[in-house]
Amino acid sequence: MLTVKNLTHWYGQADKPLYEDVDLSFDTGQVYTIVGASGSGKTTLLSFLAGLDKPQKGDIFLDGKNLKKIGATNYRKHKVAIVFQQYNLLGYMSALDNILTALSVTGSAHKGERQYVLDTLKRVGINEDDAKKNAQKLSGGQQQRVAIVRALLVDANIVIADEPTGNLDGENAAMIINLFQELAHDHQKSVIIVTHDPHVADQGDVKISLENREFVVA
Amino acid sequence: MNYLKRAMLYLTHKKGQSLLLLLIMSAILVFVLSGIIIQNAALSATNSVTKSAGTTISVSANRNKMFAKMRSSSSKSKTPTITTPTVSNEKIKKAGKLSTVAYYNITNTASVNASSFDTVSTSTGSQGMGMMKGGKGASTGNISIEGVTSTKLTSSFISKEDKIVSGRNIKASDANSKNVVIEKELASSNNLKIGDSITVKTTTSGKKKIQLKVVGIYKAKSTSSSMPGSDPSNTIYTSYTLPASVTGTTGKSSTVTYTLEDSGKEKATTKKIKSIINSSSFTVSSNDESYQQLLQPMKNVQSFANKIVWLVAIAGTIILGLIIILSVRTRQKEIGVLVSLGESKLHIVGQLFSELFVILIGAMVIALLLGNFVGNKVGNQLLAQQQTTSITTTAKSSDGPGGAPGTQHNGGGMHGGAMMSQASTSSASQRALKTLNTSISPSSIMKLGGMGLVIIALAVCVSSISILRLRPKDILLGE
Repeated sequence: MLTVKNLTHWYGQADKPLYEDVDLSFDTGQVYTIVGASGSGKTTLLSFLAGLDKPQKGDIFLDGKNLKKIGATNYRKHKVAIVFQQYNLLGYMSALDNILTALSVTGSAHKGERQYVLDTLKRVGINEDDAKKNAQKLSGGQQQRVAIVRALLVDANIVIADEPTGNLDGENAAMIINLFQELAHDHQKSVIIVTHDPHVADQGDVKISLENREFVVA
Repeated sequence: MNYLKRAMLYLTHKKGQSLLLLLIMSAILVFVLSGIIIQNAALSATNSVTKSAGTTISVSANRNKMFAKMRSSSSKSKTPTITTPTVSNEKIKKAGKLSTVAYYNITNTASVNASSFDTVSTSTGSQGMGMMKGGKGASTGNISIEGVTSTKLTSSFISKEDKIVSGRNIKASDANSKNVVIEKELASSNNLKIGDSITVKTTTSGKKKIQLKVVGIYKAKSTSSSMPGSDPSNTIYTSYTLPASVTGTTGKSSTVTYTLEDSGKEKATTKKIKSIINSSSFTVSSNDESYQQLLQPMKNVQSFANKIVWLVAIAGTIILGLIIILSVRTRQKEIGVLVSLGESKLHIVGQLFSELFVILIGAMVIALLLGNFVGNKVGNQLLAQQQTTSITTTAKSSDGPGGAPGTQHNGGGMHGGAMMSQASTSSASQRALKTLNTSISPSSIMKLGGMGLVIIALAVCVSSISILRLRPKDILLGE
């Protein structure tokens, strides 16, 4: 379980915090969607949860252990997987190599991984030929599916996604949301999605709204 | 997939960028290698010059002291006489055994009259100027006997002014013999050939006749003689022992020239020779003019090559650093992705370094193929320029009055400083390196590799600072 305690953050002036004393918790096997207006601090919260940044005050715990103790690099390497709006695949590699790189970096590589990756990509609609193509030659929907497979296979318990359907059409967006639900429900991961799309937000198991510097759990 | 594999994937995917980097790095390394090659060639040439320049140390009469002695004796007697001081051959040989001495040439001179043959006379005639050679000799004959240890070691033979055309040279083994080498004109006008005997008469009161055996015939290029007014053909070369016996100074000599093994040891050897000779009647002077003349271009080339290496290395680091900084900025997204996956910054820097390392290997191959050619061309062009400058400078300084004192004929005081200086310049010009022996040695390759590694390490470090100092979030947001 990922827990946020007394999280306070501000940019510039401490007396004008983005949010103050926030307490949140994220269980495994659930899809959490965080919605809010632009500039409300959704992505900032996500960067704390992903270990990409540190809040001004407060702590984040993973299974009772402070993130500061775990170490940000170690946390990103073994505990969390991030899916970005821009897919963020390495442009000089194929889709397959992108996933193999992630497995190598996170230490999730195992025997027969190549075939396992190809099989997993096939399950999300990317055949072997496409998997071996340069990642940038795939469509936006395909790239996002590759990014999700990457998040799935790296053995991280927490998957954090920042506007994962922002650049996708309705059909592709629906497919991606299904994949996230599969990650949470079938693979028992904790999926946290930041979105401004109300339709995507409604598809989560728990919806958290950020309104007037307050997180409201629906 | 580790960072090394990623580096290879990046290089093969970004072919254009990799090729551009390869070309830039090759250009840098070609110049660095050229500089290293020229530096090494100049260094080895300098060492070779130091060993073979033939710096000489001359032991000859202290003329000031000699004339002072003459003046003091003239006040007591009516006829002033100059006595050339002598030093024992044992002392000369002792000094010759010093480890820094390559060889030495003893020079004694005497004047005699031809007896069984006619001298060669020139149309300008002779005024029979008096010469003062040998221990007691003040009288003048029409034949000059130049006694040497070996004619091969004599400056006129070294500079090819005199050249053996028949028979052999005078050698050290001719000591105490009456073997002589005569001039071609003298030989042909008297119908003399190798193996013939000639007779000369001393000019001293006894007028003793000495029979000499012709073992060699030389040809003199010069029209000047060691005896003013006399034809150079009237100079006979023999062993240094013969003039000493003519002048009654057997076992002693008046002049000796030591040629050094290593020109760099000139000062120390001069000091040692001074202490062995241990006589204020002699001056011990060194002549490293030809050494300096040969050395200076080498030093200039070496210094220039040194500057090339450093300038190119510094400029190369700056250029590569800037290129990599720009490249890293365009790769911020990629770095951000890797950071978000949990890749350590050290591995990311390692990937950048590995990419450049692979390019470095390629650039080194190109540099090794082209470096020798460029180094050879640039080095020899530089050497030619430096030698022209050096010889012009030396020639100008030789034109001036005086010049360095004569080195090998001072006993007779005939060959003046300017003439010797010219001989030295000519000899140095002949021995000067016409080309630099540029070649790629394993140490040059190691040096090049080392410098290449330092260049890419510095370039990667400088460019990585912009990434390493950022928080992961900033890296991702910065793209």
